[in-house]
Amino acid sequence: MRIRRLMIANRGEIALRILRACKELGIETVAVYSEADRDSLHLRYANETVCIGPGVAAQSYLDIPRLISAAEIANVDAIHPGYGFLAENAHFAEVCESCNIHFIGPRSETIALVGNKSRAIALAREAGVPTVPGSDGPLKSEQDALETARSIGYPVMIKAASGGGGRGMRVAHNDISLVNGYHAARREAEAAFKDATVYLEKFIESPRHVEVQVLGDKHGNLVFLGERDCSLQRRHQKMIEESPSPIVDEEMRKRMGEAAIKVSKAADYDSAGTVEFLVDQDRNFYFIEMNARIQVEHPVSEMVSGVDLIQHMIRSAGGEELGIRQKDLSVRGHAMEFRVNAEDPDDNFRPCPGRIGLFVPPGGPGVRWDSHCYSGYIVPPNYDSLIGKVIIHRNTRAEALETAKRALSEIIVGNIKTTIPLYLRILEHNDFIQGDVDTGFIERYFM
Amino acid sequence: MSQDSKAGNKKNGSGASHGGPAFLEFQEIRRLIRMCAQSGALELELEHLGAKLKIRMPEPGKQTEIVQVPSPYPVGQAFVPPAGQAPAGPALGQEGGKPEASGLPENTVTIESPMVGTFYRAPSPDADAFTKVGDTVDPEKVVCIIEAMKVMNEIKAETSGTILKILVENGEPVEYGQPLFLVKP
Repeated sequence: MRIRRLMIANRGEIALRILRACKELGIETVAVYSEADRDSLHLRYANETVCIGPGVAAQSYLDIPRLISAAEIANVDAIHPGYGFLAENAHFAEVCESCNIHFIGPRSETIALVGNKSRAIALAREAGVPTVPGSDGPLKSEQDALETARSIGYPVMIKAASGGGGRGMRVAHNDISLVNGYHAARREAEAAFKDATVYLEKFIESPRHVEVQVLGDKHGNLVFLGERDCSLQRRHQKMIEESPSPIVDEEMRKRMGEAAIKVSKAADYDSAGTVEFLVDQDRNFYFIEMNARIQVEHPVSEMVSGVDLIQHMIRSAGGEELGIRQKDLSVRGHAMEFRVNAEDPDDNFRPCPGRIGLFVPPGGPGVRWDSHCYSGYIVPPNYDSLIGKVIIHRNTRAEALETAKRALSEIIVGNIKTTIPLYLRILEHNDFIQGDVDTGFIERYFM
Repeated sequence: MSQDSKAGNKKNGSGASHGGPAFLEFQEIRRLIRMCAQSGALELELEHLGAKLKIRMPEPGKQTEIVQVPSPYPVGQAFVPPAGQAPAGPALGQEGGKPEASGLPENTVTIESPMVGTFYRAPSPDADAFTKVGDTVDPEKVVCIIEAMKVMNEIKAETSGTILKILVENGEPVEYGQPLFLVKP
């Protein structure tokens, strides 16, 4: 069952990350690439490379027949989907399983279960894990809305069942604004989605986004590797992540970790995954969703736990036992990750693809750099704008902040605008220095 | 498609089969030997990313000694773009007009693979090949089959002309964009 040859069904920095883990495990690597990714760095290090299609993701990295075809001709026995693309596509996992190829991730049924947000919330509730209190279904009338709101407790959010993009949403702090909001939300939902159905949820003011990394194997072993605070977001895109969270103490860590394990066990989880919570101002945490994949910010947890998550994912998929006990795990020091994107933070984050001029990565003590870029590399316009991740790991948060400032100022990315100047400004902001931020922080002060 | 140690590695000219990727092509090694002979150097040693090459020039009457140690990180051979295309250059959205192999007429057109799979010259093992060198093709003519996930896909020429050269062997795996046939319009 030991994996001998693995195909990396992804690109950019995560493809390089996966390749590195394979090299260290003595596993042969097959790298697939689209025509837009011909100059990708990890291709130089792979044992075999296969061009699978044009730059358009739908005809390359998202095209299951092309990927499976490549896997067959390259004779691989495992596929790592990375993150994004098909990483949480239950059908892809199923196709791999039926072709006798190890899918490096959880089973297809688990992906399908956890990927459905309402099913996941129901699962969490059954497992005794707190979720955001709500109406548990559509509101039937104004009276129903009032009674539900009073039992949940104000403030509440009225949300459109078919909604998205912030439309059909209203916050209410009392009975009067609830009644007004109920009718207004229904009108907006009808106009935007042809469905006036609304439901109610507790409105968590200034929440923090705190997630727990879990890791499992096929023998029923499951551990949690501490939490990551990902409150620094812009339009629901994470920008900076850190572990431990400034608001989580050892006792809360244990409770959150156990809650994450409960949800994971209920979903029969047997790989690396993340359980996401919202934390309110009183430090109550509520399960919101589970991500059945490895995440961009996984290095933050790797640094504080000393566990190589990608290596373990691969080994678990090959049938090995985890070999890590919960009691041996602890959070050591403080880690922070800054996602460097090829975007102009002073021009509404306009993407800036193109040829990088001189490229000098950061280094020195406490600095880890995960990136696929190099001098002269052309950042293609077809995909996301992530060009690298700076991960800092020091003994204390204060030291990590100083190292972060130093490392970010060292990076030279010629010719291309990046989000680095924004991070240097954030690092000077008192709220961030105090660790006192919420998910609205970036939009409040830096937009 | 590029491979490291399978036999029949079409993409490098060296035909090396010493069990690992070479970091220099055979022509380059020959050139280095000539350089040594001309300069009178007795020994040459090159190292790059863990791969080593050592050339010791013969004392009169003895053989030239060449030792190549492959790098644990295959360099060069592991990333060789399909024949006829410039390596590691700006390759975004390169449409058509692929440079043709040297020694052939200037306006040679390449039929490229539209998919990943296994190339077959005939509809079945006993049948005749769809085309051979010298045949005339038109856009609708089926020139080969590419099998992907047990589905046999008939590939049409999509161009007119005469088949000059068949670039892949029967049963060989092919990648997207890989040149299959050279056609003289």
